[in-house]
Amino acid sequence: MSHHAFLTASQQKTRKKHFIILGTLIVLILITFVISMNTGVIKLTPLEVLRTLFGQGDAQQQLILFEFRLPRIVVAILVGMGLASSGAILQGISRNALADPGILGINAGAGLMVMLFISFFPSTAAAPVYLLPVLAFIGSGMTAIIIYALSYKRHEGITPMRLLLTGIAVAAGISSAMIVLTLRLTPENYQFVATWLAGSIWGSNWKFVLSLLPWLIILLPFIYSKSRILNVLNLDELTAIGLGASIEKERRWLLAASVGLAGASVSVSGGIGFVGLIAPHLARQLVGAKHQILLPVSALLGGLLVLLADTIGRSILEPSEIPAGIVVAVLGAPYFLYLLARLKE
Amino acid sequence: MATSAEGLNQLEELKRRTHPIRAIIALVLGVVGLLFAIGLSISFGAANISLGTVWTAVFHFSSDLTEHQIIREIRLPRVLGAALVGACFAVAGSIMQGMTRNPLADSGLLGLNAGAAFMLAVCFAFFPGMSYMYLIMWSFVGAGLGVVIVYGVGSLAKGGLTPMRLVLAGAAVSALLGALGEGIALYYRIGQDLAFWYAGGVSGTKWSHLQILTPWILVAMIGALILSRSITLLSLGEELAIGLGQRTVVIKVWGMIIVLILAGAAVSVVGAVGFVGLIVPHLARYIVGHDYRWIISCSLVYGALLVVLADFTARIINPPYETPIGALIAFIGVPFFLYLARKGGKEL
Amino acid sequence: MTVLEIEHVAIGYSSTLIVDDLSVTIPKGQISTIIGPNGCGKSTLLKAVARVLKTQEGAVYLDGKAIHQLKTKEVAKRMAILPQTATAPGGLTVFELVSYGRFPHQTGFGTLRKEDYEYIHWAIDVTGLKEFSDRPIEALSGGQRQRVWIAMALAQGTDILVLDEPTTYLDLAHQLDVLLLLQKLNKEEGRTIVMVLHDLNHASRFSHFMIAMKNGQLIVNGHPNEVMTKENLQTVFHIDAEMAICPYSANPICLSYQLYERDK
Repeated sequence: MSHHAFLTASQQKTRKKHFIILGTLIVLILITFVISMNTGVIKLTPLEVLRTLFGQGDAQQQLILFEFRLPRIVVAILVGMGLASSGAILQGISRNALADPGILGINAGAGLMVMLFISFFPSTAAAPVYLLPVLAFIGSGMTAIIIYALSYKRHEGITPMRLLLTGIAVAAGISSAMIVLTLRLTPENYQFVATWLAGSIWGSNWKFVLSLLPWLIILLPFIYSKSRILNVLNLDELTAIGLGASIEKERRWLLAASVGLAGASVSVSGGIGFVGLIAPHLARQLVGAKHQILLPVSALLGGLLVLLADTIGRSILEPSEIPAGIVVAVLGAPYFLYLLARLKE
Repeated sequence: MATSAEGLNQLEELKRRTHPIRAIIALVLGVVGLLFAIGLSISFGAANISLGTVWTAVFHFSSDLTEHQIIREIRLPRVLGAALVGACFAVAGSIMQGMTRNPLADSGLLGLNAGAAFMLAVCFAFFPGMSYMYLIMWSFVGAGLGVVIVYGVGSLAKGGLTPMRLVLAGAAVSALLGALGEGIALYYRIGQDLAFWYAGGVSGTKWSHLQILTPWILVAMIGALILSRSITLLSLGEELAIGLGQRTVVIKVWGMIIVLILAGAAVSVVGAVGFVGLIVPHLARYIVGHDYRWIISCSLVYGALLVVLADFTARIINPPYETPIGALIAFIGVPFFLYLARKGGKEL
Repeated sequence: MTVLEIEHVAIGYSSTLIVDDLSVTIPKGQISTIIGPNGCGKSTLLKAVARVLKTQEGAVYLDGKAIHQLKTKEVAKRMAILPQTATAPGGLTVFELVSYGRFPHQTGFGTLRKEDYEYIHWAIDVTGLKEFSDRPIEALSGGQRQRVWIAMALAQGTDILVLDEPTTYLDLAHQLDVLLLLQKLNKEEGRTIVMVLHDLNHASRFSHFMIAMKNGQLIVNGHPNEVMTKENLQTVFHIDAEMAICPYSANPICLSYQLYERDK
């Protein structure tokens, strides 16, 4: 930080505030992490959790923590980070506060694919569910490509407005296809698909962590490296061009990154759409619109939110579980409404 | 203040751009088309009945004839239900678009659909076997709940209810109520029952339901037509409307009440058939210009026509099964909407 | 010396041309102003100069090179643009927005270097925004906001500034304020300024070079003395103007005017 001298006192204060917010979020994630480790049918004390984490627990404790709870927690955090970052990018480039990964047809496409796949099998038990994340990812990717192609126009390329409108239309079309399919599913299969759609962290073993992690490891640094460009794209189009941003090219890359992040997340979590909408909003309230800080704060908020939601969903109605997507909406929406009522702008 | 002079100019502009003759032709054609579609829909079905019989069944009813019975008790209420629902959605949609100046607005935006769906889930889960009548009434209450929350949040806000805030509040309330409904449906395993209920569309409509719904809808429709001139002004911008001496708050509140009654009634009968409220007003605007007196009356007729045709298709496409009407309308609506988005003209 | 040459450009959409076969050269180190009635294509021309709109025919040359063949970032280092409808997202402070002006000079994550800070602070000082530097944009008045956008364009550190109606929505004093600032930048630092103005008297007073357009075509261009004549104003705006001399610039101004009587 060699140029502190150029910052006014209040800018330094803002900087400090940003670090405090980042730190607080990490601490909150850690706290939720420990609580989540203790949540489940078999109770473990925080001390036992810590001991087991450091290799001092007995075999059963190790099995529960390392094979069941830990991967699920990690998946929850990663999914939240991915969806929130995806939403932050979309809101940035579309300058539309309502944009979320759902707009790109991610949820709808993945959902349709899952439903189609399941409908071919007489029961969920007969279906090779390990294929689901791959299929879901293919579904969301294909939908995103279709939406992109439909909103692309020669000479003009992609405009954010047209992308949003096309996304809404395609998602609506897919949803109605799903309504038709719904009626043909067996009740058991329906229940499975409905749970999937509601967004539950069902892919909870290390394989899913491994399938998710590469996307985040590659794409999160990529989008952070584009912070500066996102800042400019977030202004109006003419100003962005005037500043020398190749908006068409940058938009395409950022959209692709956004699809990758959301698609990978949705493939293991189902439709937790609301995180992508709400986390960037909250982050903007906390740290403003500069993407260098907005992106990491959104990601951490998203991770925290999904982890918290999953933990609550697992514990509140034991032994049955409430999908995290539902808990996120039930927790997030009232807060969002409160913000809306309180804010001037 | 240049506002009022500018406003008058804009009004002049508006007059030039509306096409009363086209509007009247469109209305007449629409009504004729609607009557024809209704006749068609009544005569086709599991038992085909000639249009002549339909005529006599309606105007010279004889309770001895089975065909007359079918028409009177099953097909007629159903087709009238479809027409009412379509008209309601379309008029509610055009009011929403005019008042929010947002071409993408429809009644779903207000949390109406999610509210109705939530209440329906509650009824299915906790009061299984509730009669159709009560289900509709409770759905309506749910729709109202959604609107009240959205509006409540909006009016609590400093600086009042801006269209942007309305949209955001609507999205959040829909997410909340939607999630709650989904949670209940999952927990009590009633999701598929709900889906079947919605897929049924207007098939279960009976005279007794129409008797209850129709007066409300009629009053709201008349209200909508009375408001239409004010909505034209509002659609030019709130400041302008105030400048021209309109009490915008009063108009907005009445507008919302009318939307609630119309869309609430429609949603509670068939569920969220979103595209009607979105496409029909666009189509109407395309034909008749920007005067909401014409837009609303055209939306009324064409909304009814669209849903009657969709319901008819839903019955004949794969008999004896019914195709969900929402899916069918989306089937027409999605390409149309995509076309609008691509054209990207001033309309959208 | 010229920096910007506009050669036989046609601009518009597939069927309708808004500007047709227009050529004009913008002199270096001077203030050039485009005037003309509503819808004459002046903003469109400015957008083509700013490479926001592509020309259907002809080309705009920056220092002798066709602007569309240059890298957009390279252009942005030489020419800054202030569009008419600039809007900032919520939650940005003045300093942050002005710092975005450094975009074309940055790479990677966008950490500000010493030079960047110098430009930003200079731009904020020269536009008189120092005390607002940490305020959110939403909290500023219209006049202040306009100055923030100008500051952003200045922070870009370019020789050429292109502004589309920089004085719209400002009161008399703020309009003058902005124009005096532009004049100062031109005089003291030799920056080339191209803008669209609605106020003819401002245009005449502050410009070295004026371009009058009508129906997408160039009517007349040159020194204000040549452009601001009774005859030209009649042709371009259809007004019958009483001309006078501006006591500050000695250029012609329009004292008052009447609609020109058309033969109906």
